[in-house]
Amino acid sequence: MTAPRMLAFALVCLGAALPAGATAATGSPPEVPYFAEAVARGELPGVGERLPLTPRRLAFDDGRASGRYGGQLRLLMAKANDTRQMVVYGYSRLVVYDRNLAIVPDVLERYTVEEGRRFTLYLRAGHRWSDGAPFTSEDFRYFWEDMANNAEISTFGVPAWLLVDGHAPTVEFPDATTVRYTWAVPNPYFLPGLAGARPNYIYYPAHYLEQFHPAHTAPEVLARRVAEAKARNWVALHTRRSHLYKFNNPELPTLQPWYNTTQAPAERFLFRRNPYFHRVDPEGRQLPYVDEVLMSLASSSLIPAKTGAGESDLQARYLRLDNYTFLKAGERQNDYSVRLWRTAKGSQIALFPNLNAEDPVWRKLIRDVRFRRALSLAVDRHEINQVVYFGLVIESNNTVLPQSPLFREKYQQRWARFDPDAANRLLDEIGLTARDGRNVRLLPDGRPMELIVQTAGESTEETDVLELIHDSWLKIGVKLYSKPSQREVFRNRVFAGDAVMSVWSGLSNALPTAEMSPAELAPTAQDQYQWPKWGQFYETGSNAGEAPDLREAQRLLDLNRTWQRATSTAEREDAWHEMLDIHAEQVYSIGLVCGVQQPVVVSNRLRNVPESGIYNWDPGAFFGLYQPDTFWFD
Amino acid sequence: MLRYLFQRTLMMIPTLLVISALVFVIIQLPPGDYLESYIAELQSQGESVDKEKIEFLRRTYGLDKPLHEQYLYWLLGMLQGDFGYSFEYDLPVSEVVGDRLYLTILVSTVTILFTWMIAFPIGIYSATHQYSWGDYGLTLLGFIGLATPNFLLALVMLYLANVWFGTSIGGLMDPDYIDQPWSVDKVLSVLEHLWIPVLVIGTSGTAGMIRRLRANLLDELQKQYVTTGRAKGLPPFKLLTKYPLRMAMNFFIADIGSILPSVISGAEITAVVLSLPTTGPMLLGALQSQDMYLAGSFLMFLATLTVVGVLLSDIALAMLDPRIRLQGARP
Repeated sequence: MTAPRMLAFALVCLGAALPAGATAATGSPPEVPYFAEAVARGELPGVGERLPLTPRRLAFDDGRASGRYGGQLRLLMAKANDTRQMVVYGYSRLVVYDRNLAIVPDVLERYTVEEGRRFTLYLRAGHRWSDGAPFTSEDFRYFWEDMANNAEISTFGVPAWLLVDGHAPTVEFPDATTVRYTWAVPNPYFLPGLAGARPNYIYYPAHYLEQFHPAHTAPEVLARRVAEAKARNWVALHTRRSHLYKFNNPELPTLQPWYNTTQAPAERFLFRRNPYFHRVDPEGRQLPYVDEVLMSLASSSLIPAKTGAGESDLQARYLRLDNYTFLKAGERQNDYSVRLWRTAKGSQIALFPNLNAEDPVWRKLIRDVRFRRALSLAVDRHEINQVVYFGLVIESNNTVLPQSPLFREKYQQRWARFDPDAANRLLDEIGLTARDGRNVRLLPDGRPMELIVQTAGESTEETDVLELIHDSWLKIGVKLYSKPSQREVFRNRVFAGDAVMSVWSGLSNALPTAEMSPAELAPTAQDQYQWPKWGQFYETGSNAGEAPDLREAQRLLDLNRTWQRATSTAEREDAWHEMLDIHAEQVYSIGLVCGVQQPVVVSNRLRNVPESGIYNWDPGAFFGLYQPDTFWFD
Repeated sequence: MLRYLFQRTLMMIPTLLVISALVFVIIQLPPGDYLESYIAELQSQGESVDKEKIEFLRRTYGLDKPLHEQYLYWLLGMLQGDFGYSFEYDLPVSEVVGDRLYLTILVSTVTILFTWMIAFPIGIYSATHQYSWGDYGLTLLGFIGLATPNFLLALVMLYLANVWFGTSIGGLMDPDYIDQPWSVDKVLSVLEHLWIPVLVIGTSGTAGMIRRLRANLLDELQKQYVTTGRAKGLPPFKLLTKYPLRMAMNFFIADIGSILPSVISGAEITAVVLSLPTTGPMLLGALQSQDMYLAGSFLMFLATLTVVGVLLSDIALAMLDPRIRLQGARP
């Protein structure tokens, strides 16, 4: 043991010894009945010693009620690797989004940020992993030194998400409860990354993983373990055992409210409450309220039926809006209620004109903003809303949702009204006046304007909507054909520019605050279907793809850069607004409707589940935003 | 006979080699590989993927190697009893299949027995009462069973069982029993769920069997030895079971070859609809996500069973029916 590690260890011991005395003074919180027996037998320390010195005390100022302990929450999932949903729902992170989408400390007691580039994280003294081992800066050191900087585990060097402009941070561990990350320039991605639904992990349980690491284990012992697990080498074994996010190793300690006890393959996964969880309710009682979570697997097509038969206490995954009436019918008989939450995609379905299309004639046309505006004006969003979505959704461009502080009405409505006359005028203005016998316009080279829209062929919802657009586009002399294929084929066609137009969902995060990255709005990734080659160019550091050659697209990249460099919220807000404005004006994607409802089935016995909410992946972590550890059974 | 056996067994080796190559190539035919479908799945849920991580996985799983090398690696592994590694489950293939195999065998065996129990009496009745109302009626019933799509029937029965008897939807037992050790209650729960898949899968097999038994039996019933037996005063039932029925059984023995693999594979589509914990949905999932070693090894296992099954039924036929010759007629 090196000197600093010895010191760290000593501090931890001190920290562990403290809470017993501290809570004795303030009055120890009541013991969790689930553990009462184990505590009485002396197998588990009392609740006062299990909690950190300063637990995270939740306020419940939003109408939630303090609950009672006990019960088993039943969930339905489709695949064994859905166990990771419990990490998502648990949503215990170093820092988390609160309901106003502000970042607040959770596992951390507090943190400080200096100049947007020096992050000091303060852990809770006496915080423990689910197996009772102390959670300290040693676990952060293990990640940084033994994983991120280990040439065999990280073959490409420090993970890309820790680099800013290609430079790694300096990381220090001043004492057992303090960790400091410092970059040379501001890193606005760091905290949102830690708060993600799938977070970036900068800590791993060192005490558990050391047995698989050659720096801490004798080679012959390690070789035996590798052989026993039938792994290819120690890296494969270490990786397999260390998936904090996947929740597939019951032995791996966690910080989530419930830990997995079942090894896959299995049909049912039982999660038990984490005895050392760090959150308490307003009365100081340790959370979670619910003792166990039982996740049963069923094929995804059967899940709506099983939910309707009352076999799940809390279900949204694998339910869709068109299951609503069926679910509603079983409400009374099976004692649950169906709530409608809103999804937070920029657009449920959006059309992406491919600015990198191979066909030169089409490409030229698609790069003409008047053409894109005309196509958008010729979509009857109201009709789509009424016919496909029961009139329940918001007709909108592919932009941020009204709940976002960045929302402006013009982003939602610009070029989004149904106006075939204006669209026709725009097309005439471009010079596309020649028509064939079917009244379909002709392209400049004489081909009829038959626009093939590629789809991944996965949902009938897409084809229904395209059918409606087909009819309204005929009014402006554009003939739409939809071409379904397989998802991989679809993606490759778009990437290669074979697809002139494609269909996919809109912005994946339409609930941004100025602090969240606007990268989705700039050509920064290959899977942005309106400019795959520009995105690839950015992603590969100019090694593949094409450089953006439209002024507005370059401007978006510059703005993304400005946002990244900004040191104040006001600057970031300005960058966001200009980017949203460019998108609304330039119609880089044709959004249709957003705010589609997500049915959420909740047992009538389950309390503290909000009546309405946002069902979103990131930010949101689905139920995670609403803290399922505070849900309880009446 | 021994020489024949030896030759047949030897022939199995090239057959299986060809099958293994075909299986491997066909699994690889769709564009992309496991990692690409994995990325697509993650992205469809809004998760992002680390390019480096994918590159690392590709190297760990050996997906960056040329196709023939991957094939040889898989083939040599199988010869040593190592069926490869399932990407999706992150486990050796043998461990993934595990329990599912027993439940599949259970469902399939009961289904086959059910098919026989229904098909035999009806087949015999139809043949002995040819063109009667009973013959027409029962045959019609069989055809309806054959013509109804299994998945539809499965869904309807699931719904009715849930509404009328309160049986939990899908699966082979109540969820409460899944991790429990076997007990009387658990067996009862399995029985409560078992009848749906058995009925659904069984109905489609029954019609075929009825028709084949009827046709074969009719051929024999018109032969002179039957007339002779009847003239000599043999009781009708004894006459039927002792002579023509035995002669009509050849097709049944030949069927054993195809029964063996179906016992293991289960009825895939029905199993998916009913969410049965059998091997069918697993195979389908593996093929969809291009989890190639899991899919490949399982298909190879089925192929081996088919080849062995055909061999067994050939041997049984040769032993049971002296009219069958081992070699083609020599001039």
